[in-house]
Amino acid sequence: MATGVTLTIGGLALTVSGGDSVAKALALPGMGAFRGETNGNDVHLRLDERVELPECRWLHRFDIVEETAECRFGVDASGIYYYTFGDSGLLRFDPRTPGTVSLNTIDDPNILRFALWTAYSMTSLWRDAVPVHSSVVVCRGRAVMCLGESGTGKSTHTSLWLKYIDGCHLLNDDSPILCVEDDGVFVYGSPWSGKTPCYRQERVPVAALLRLEQRPENSIRRLGTIESFTALHPSCPPALAHDELCTDRMVDFIGGVISHVPVYRLGCLPDEGAARLAFNTLMA
Amino acid sequence: MKIDSRKKIRHVSGENIVLMPAAGTADMTQVVALNESALELYNMLKEREFTFDDVVKAMLDTYEVDEATARADAEKWVGQMREQRLIID
Repeated sequence: MATGVTLTIGGLALTVSGGDSVAKALALPGMGAFRGETNGNDVHLRLDERVELPECRWLHRFDIVEETAECRFGVDASGIYYYTFGDSGLLRFDPRTPGTVSLNTIDDPNILRFALWTAYSMTSLWRDAVPVHSSVVVCRGRAVMCLGESGTGKSTHTSLWLKYIDGCHLLNDDSPILCVEDDGVFVYGSPWSGKTPCYRQERVPVAALLRLEQRPENSIRRLGTIESFTALHPSCPPALAHDELCTDRMVDFIGGVISHVPVYRLGCLPDEGAARLAFNTLMA
Repeated sequence: MKIDSRKKIRHVSGENIVLMPAAGTADMTQVVALNESALELYNMLKEREFTFDDVVKAMLDTYEVDEATARADAEKWVGQMREQRLIID
């Protein structure tokens, strides 16, 4: 007997159904905070499905770093996308029915967590919502999303806002959901927050995106269209950049974001001055 | 020579860009931006083999320039397009 629960993540209502994996998914860190009904079920995540892997053209191979599990992203002759996770995990997504993603049974909880993120990132791209690798601070009701390569100091920078600027809290420290909606661009908390247990069911208008680079002194500059694009694009799910159709959607999404929200480059030290410079520029 | 049809022109907030495949580097996106005249030449010459003289002719047909200017601009355009591998042999 299949059971189903509803999660609301990034403004999408996800019905998660299947066998024992539903309870395992709900027991993952942070998931419980996103339980709840909304109007209608936008997306269906089907767990414990029998997913057959056909011949695929493999577009991208990568490792989930901390799990040492090799993953692949590919597409079959009819245009259906597949991911493999480690030895046995499988995901199937047909872009002609973008409201449904199927996963087989994945026992390892860390791989299941990543597979759920992947499933979300596929279906959400068709709803103008994308998980963006970033650390997000909310300041006086508006969000600043810090982007940058791993190790650049995104979390360090948002922690400086929390420490030195009044009225701030952390929304997410790894993979919040960025959405282009009718009334603006919003960022939502998510159950994927890296090593920081910050799982907030919250929707916040985005004040700015901030691409961080380590520099010997603090400086900030607003970016033009092309630089804004190249600042945000690498922080979107990287596997999707290897496929034409996904790239079409991603480019439209990024165009929607950067035409509404300013993007800045902050050359910074890990100090109070960097947080104050960014705050004074973005929030003044 | 011909235009590499695998590289697609995309339009973002009024800019015409081509995403370059990231050469094995994570966290990097490289794009080539084409201005309106570069894009116009691109559209006139795509989907067929063409010679340097075809580029010069396209310039002369489209813009009110003399032949020397057309040749100089054509050389510049072909050079830049080749450098970004948007034109292949």
